[in-house]
Amino acid sequence: MATGSPRGSARVAPPAVDPILLGAVLSLVTLGLVMVYSSSAVTAQDRLGDSFHYLWRQLTAAGLGLVAMAVALRVGYRRVARFAYPVLVVAVLLLVAVLVPGLGTMVGGAKRWIRFPGVSIQPAEVAKLAWVVYLSYSLAKKREKVALFSIGFLPHLAVAGFLVVLCMLEPDFGSAVTLLFLMFILLFAAGTKLSYLVGSVLAVIPFAYTAIIRSPYRFARWSAFLDPWANRRGSGYQVTESLMSIGSGGLWGLGLGDGRQKLFFLPEAHTDFIFSIIGEELGLAGVALVVTLYGVIVWRGIRAALAASEPFGTYLALGITSAIGFQAVVNMAVAMGLAPTKGLTLPFISYGGSSLIVLMGAAGLLLSVAAGSPAAGNARGAERQARNAREVSADLEAA
Amino acid sequence: MRDLKAVAVADAPSKWMRFRVFLLGALFLSLLGGIMAKAVHLQVVQTGWLRDMAEDQYVRQIDIPARRGDVFDRRGTPLAQSVEVDSIWIDPSSSTNLAATARALAKPLGLDREELAARLVKARRFAWVKRQATPAEVAAVTALEIEGVGFTKEPRRFYPQRELAAQLIGLVGTDGRGLDGLEKAFDDVLTGQASQLSGFRDAKGRKLLTYGLDAPLERQGASVTLTLDRQLQYVTEKALGRAVEEAKATAGMAVVLDPKTGQVLALANFPRFNPNALDAGNSGALRNRAALDTFEPGSTFKSFVVAAALEEKEVKEDDAFFCENGSWAVGRHTIHDSHPHAWLTAQKILQVSSNIGAAKVAQALGRDRLVDYYARFGFGERAGLALPGEGRGSVPYPKADITFATQAFGQGLTATAVQVAAAYGALANGGVLMRPYVVARVVDPDGLMLVDNRPVEVRRVVSERTARQVVAMLETVVEKEGTAPRARMDEYRVAGKTGTAQKADPVAKGYSDKRIASFVGLVPAEDPRAVILIVVDEPKTDVYGGLVAAPAFKEIAAEAMPYLGVPPSRPTVATSAPVPAERPGEPIDPPEALRSAMVGPAKGPLAAAFAKLETSETVTDTAGEGSVTVPDLSGQVGRAAVVRLLGVALEPRLSGSGRVVSQTPPAGTLVEKGTWVTLQLASRQ
Repeated sequence: MATGSPRGSARVAPPAVDPILLGAVLSLVTLGLVMVYSSSAVTAQDRLGDSFHYLWRQLTAAGLGLVAMAVALRVGYRRVARFAYPVLVVAVLLLVAVLVPGLGTMVGGAKRWIRFPGVSIQPAEVAKLAWVVYLSYSLAKKREKVALFSIGFLPHLAVAGFLVVLCMLEPDFGSAVTLLFLMFILLFAAGTKLSYLVGSVLAVIPFAYTAIIRSPYRFARWSAFLDPWANRRGSGYQVTESLMSIGSGGLWGLGLGDGRQKLFFLPEAHTDFIFSIIGEELGLAGVALVVTLYGVIVWRGIRAALAASEPFGTYLALGITSAIGFQAVVNMAVAMGLAPTKGLTLPFISYGGSSLIVLMGAAGLLLSVAAGSPAAGNARGAERQARNAREVSADLEAA
Repeated sequence: MRDLKAVAVADAPSKWMRFRVFLLGALFLSLLGGIMAKAVHLQVVQTGWLRDMAEDQYVRQIDIPARRGDVFDRRGTPLAQSVEVDSIWIDPSSSTNLAATARALAKPLGLDREELAARLVKARRFAWVKRQATPAEVAAVTALEIEGVGFTKEPRRFYPQRELAAQLIGLVGTDGRGLDGLEKAFDDVLTGQASQLSGFRDAKGRKLLTYGLDAPLERQGASVTLTLDRQLQYVTEKALGRAVEEAKATAGMAVVLDPKTGQVLALANFPRFNPNALDAGNSGALRNRAALDTFEPGSTFKSFVVAAALEEKEVKEDDAFFCENGSWAVGRHTIHDSHPHAWLTAQKILQVSSNIGAAKVAQALGRDRLVDYYARFGFGERAGLALPGEGRGSVPYPKADITFATQAFGQGLTATAVQVAAAYGALANGGVLMRPYVVARVVDPDGLMLVDNRPVEVRRVVSERTARQVVAMLETVVEKEGTAPRARMDEYRVAGKTGTAQKADPVAKGYSDKRIASFVGLVPAEDPRAVILIVVDEPKTDVYGGLVAAPAFKEIAAEAMPYLGVPPSRPTVATSAPVPAERPGEPIDPPEALRSAMVGPAKGPLAAAFAKLETSETVTDTAGEGSVTVPDLSGQVGRAAVVRLLGVALEPRLSGSGRVVSQTPPAGTLVEKGTWVTLQLASRQ
């Protein structure tokens, strides 16, 4: 329990929140709300007769996300460590449940949502965070043994494989790739031999290849990626529409709400392709703002990881930062034709309750790591403590 | 505690691990940098063509079809109008079950379900379900509440006078293009200019004109005013129809022409059809035979032979020709007359319609001059009505003697009914051939005169003296001894000529026993105001033009003459009063004695007219109902002024464009119906 932590007595003091990180996250969420409304109003009016439909839902999710963020910050990342296994088990159960006929909802040929009255959950979003928490915990616990193939590499690969298979059954290629990527990031940081990582990537290639070749829609996405203009009316439709969208924006954009591509030309304008609408309506300036905000999150996240007083904090901060950064980069790359279509959302911005709540909760954990040890009282104390600890471990390594 | 191992402070990240984390952070930041670089490329370097590509799909040239112009008769009565009707379309992509949708739609619309389904499957985003649907059909489809179904207004042509002059006016297809007749000939001006707007459109193809675009500036089609008179057209069609039906004939045509101007007052074809309700069965009735088809006209041509011979002084009025007692061998052929005659003067030849006599007159004239005169009367060249497919007819040079002989009585050559009427118009008009025309004006919605047809003299064919001589001879045709006593009228002097032609048999290369009976009359003979030609094709009861066609002439003339305000040649009202010496039809300046006799107790129509004479000098009409007051048109736009004038049976003559700044005669003047009113238009500065 909390008393187990060395300076548990000082926890009455509110954790020192990193204002820059918090500001970046809240800015993205706010921008997301604006853009979700701008990009969905016409479609919502047309399909549901209520142009505010998606905005209300996203606002609700943002409210819940704020609560999740506050709770995560308040509880502190250290105490989350002990829930690593239970959370992973819950994530696995959800991933299994979504595959059960009657529970999972089929949308666009994929079962990705468990629908309850009023809410629907996307298990893959939960699984990503659970996977980061579990990996961080596992790697921190195993310490220097992670370098060993049988202890540090194989078990994680096995769990990852299990999760990936579940994701692929939905199918959700994007989440599967994210899970694998996060594992590689964390294993790399933990010190797993590069040869293992490179080797496993090479090993995955044939599977990825067959996965692409054998699935018509994935193959179409791949060919669309290679030459979207050649397949403009078919598989390249989304990408070319997205490119036209972003290109139309120019330096300053057409003005908020004045985008035309969302008028049914661009499918999923408020989810996977919301970046295109940002590019169209807010121009290069808007794109720069979004990229900068993600850059700030990466910067502050990595800073928190480096400043963490113990490996778990480092892994957790790195994992969460990577989850946000990876999805952001991939989503934007897809929108600009730099990567094949994945189905990954733009963190904090795209419409989607599960994703937003989980990400804001994760941001809360990241803020918690950035705040350092709750016992430190202030950030400087925590840093000094960490420096001492580093010197100790450096000595140990030198020995 | 197990958990503590993971969060122990002593396990702070190693330097090597810190380096790796730092490396990963740098990786993400450089990836974001790459994203930014790509964004710069798209939004700065490629923004131009990407924007063009995008605009290409949501900016659409939206065609706003202009309202098709109307067709009026000479008095402004609409003969063809455009009305807006709903057309039903569907976006097939919005339907999940096209077969069911097609089934649901086909039933209330009376469409073939399978055909409709096939069309819907083929179309991606747009398919007509039914164009120009009735209001009931629209209501039925609306009630179905099928998703993706839309309605759009399309102009539909409507002919308020139904069958009237239908063959002349022609037809318009569902696509709004003229298919036939004047609708085709004047398609460009009637169509107007569909305005093209750059409008925004969403991916569903809906028009989105929400971005502050100007109001649609569609340009309405121009209106076409005909020389036709609805009333005369009606009378003509009625009389023609009766003649054809009583003779059990297959078809008929009639032309009423103003010989002084060449204006076609009526152009009728029988059988008739209703252009508002076409059915495939009567496609033969669609043809404007009177203007398009040529036929061998027969004896009506004898007048031209006589006129030519008189003009060339080859024949004098009292010269007599031996008519071979009804049978004359020309080469291997024999020409017959219906009744045997011995010696006939030119006048008698026309009166009894002697073929042999006409042929002998032609011989006096010679082949070259015969052909030349026919050409001068306008045969072998298009009359110039500007109708698509207008017939030309042909007068081949008569090499053979028999051809030379038969051409003298109108066989072995072809002409259209309009040509025959126009040629008689030359005789009626003192020897000057006027170009016949049916379109008086084409006026665009701003009042700009696009076409302003005026009477055009084609040429002087014969001298006025010759023309009068021939018309005087033709007056004897309707006498008791003539071929057409049935055309004689009590009130008006009539000059006319019958024709009973044998129809050429295209199969047997000879002449069949089928006939074309015709009568052409000039009325009143002393100063003809109308040429009326009746042609009855293949009459069964009687074959002679004097019997079959002449009564129809009389019926038309009896209605047309008072209608045109022509004073009777032989006054029946005031028999005791002396007939004015002046030529009737010209402005009458009644003698003082007559005027005093009329004004007072006698209250006939003439008296009323004379009473009016005293109030205004400009009254030139003897019939009271024939005069109108010129309306005040100042400040009106051209079109409104034209409509106003046509409404009171005045003829507008516009110059300039914009609004009326001056008019002649001035407002309030009492003038004769049909008087030209000159309007000076100018645009406001």
